[in-house]
Amino acid sequence: MIAWTGRKTVEGLEFAAAVLDLGLRAFRELFSPARRGRGEVFRVVTRQILFTGVDALPVVGAIALMLGLIIIIQAGTTLPQVGAGAFLAKIIELTVVHELGPLLTAFIVIWRSGTAICTELGNMQVGQEIAALDAMGISLIRFLVMPRVAGVIVAMVCLTIYFDLIAIVGGFLVAKIHLTIPIQVYLAEIEEVLSASDILITVIKSVLFGFTIAVICCHHGLSVVGATTEVPQQTTWAMLNTVTACLVLDIIVSVGFYL
Amino acid sequence: MSEAVITLDRVSASERDQTLVEDISFTVHRGEAVALVGSNASGKGLVLRLCAGLEAPASGTVRVLGADPARATEEQLLALRQRVGFVFAKPALISNMTVFNNVALPLRYHTVFPETEIRERVLARLTECGVDAFRDRMPADLMLGDARQAALARAMVMDPDILCVDEVLLGLDADELVRLRKILERYRRAGRPTIVATVNAPTSLLRAMDRLILLQDGRLVAACPPAEAPLLDDPMVQVFFGSQ
Repeated sequence: MIAWTGRKTVEGLEFAAAVLDLGLRAFRELFSPARRGRGEVFRVVTRQILFTGVDALPVVGAIALMLGLIIIIQAGTTLPQVGAGAFLAKIIELTVVHELGPLLTAFIVIWRSGTAICTELGNMQVGQEIAALDAMGISLIRFLVMPRVAGVIVAMVCLTIYFDLIAIVGGFLVAKIHLTIPIQVYLAEIEEVLSASDILITVIKSVLFGFTIAVICCHHGLSVVGATTEVPQQTTWAMLNTVTACLVLDIIVSVGFYL
Repeated sequence: MSEAVITLDRVSASERDQTLVEDISFTVHRGEAVALVGSNASGKGLVLRLCAGLEAPASGTVRVLGADPARATEEQLLALRQRVGFVFAKPALISNMTVFNNVALPLRYHTVFPETEIRERVLARLTECGVDAFRDRMPADLMLGDARQAALARAMVMDPDILCVDEVLLGLDADELVRLRKILERYRRAGRPTIVATVNAPTSLLRAMDRLILLQDGRLVAACPPAEAPLLDDPMVQVFFGSQ
């Protein structure tokens, strides 16, 4: 039991070190002034933003609308019963803007794009495409990892803001069928409780989540050695590890923000 | 004798914890065409990757174009690899790019040529390799032989000093083999590239080579001109060339 715990701890630390190393190299490459492959890298970044961000708008919008509707109906009907109707906007701010917006967007990005990144890189390993890029002198960090990290971060920030807007406004408009609060009053309350720090915390979380998702999924994709059967295994691990990492980061940021 | 571009000195190397190459030494000179000849699992693929600087030896020294890949920094390695074209046994074309974009990739990544010049160079290589008709196709739509020719065009597009081709016969029919032989001969006449290829069966292509390096079980059996190889008094060589 002790040996097993020790082995798992060492494996966990090795994994964390490898992911951190990959992340740092990608981060350094992001700000590298090198001209090499700029056009090609930009093409990959654009494609990643399109796939992770633009293509995900319908699913993110639908989930945000449903979540906003549920929270607004629940809070809008329950809070007045206990004399706390004035806290509706505060509840929205805390649940949607602080927590569920960034977190659920991260989960959607993990399910759609994280798995796609891991599978794509894994299949590239199996097909020797990664080896071919390396043989051509094309930096894997610059050509494969960094553009995905940059693309996912940009898409995550935009999607999270989009999620929050749809959940707050769209959710209310649908809930209006059931509620009696005028929209002007609701929006004024939201405007009152929302501060710059709320926007900042959302952006910080989405940047951290985007970075984590892209780096962990790239790490797992590039960890495929040679068999196609490894690709789904690594994808499963990538999903588990990114969800765990995002939850841990969410706790750290939230605790840090309130302390 | 011209300058040495590849030197392997008492090199041993392993793959997945298994020693596949043991104590091999040879030198390849600029402009020379060398075939690494041996049956499957003779270690010739690993030797080829050592020659291209894609693998580090477990012991011994490898020098490629004056650099020691085992001690080079990442930047030095990337620079070295621009001067070495490599064709893998699998075509290894990037699956989400057309054939044209695959061949253009090294030029777009490493150079600042305008797109018109890139187009010109890529089309010239595709035509030379006989796959210009497939330039707008995706790699998955190609037959193995055509995909390998496209991979050859990609390896040649940067005009490398050394061209390495793994399993040169793989996926080629008789016509394609003749075409490949002509491509390599024309390519050698046009410039000064060194060619190193692995071959696992007797073929007319061997006659286009300057020297054969015969390998068995990861060891060097002999190195000689193609005409002399079938005459060697070695059981492996005699079985390979069908004289036994």
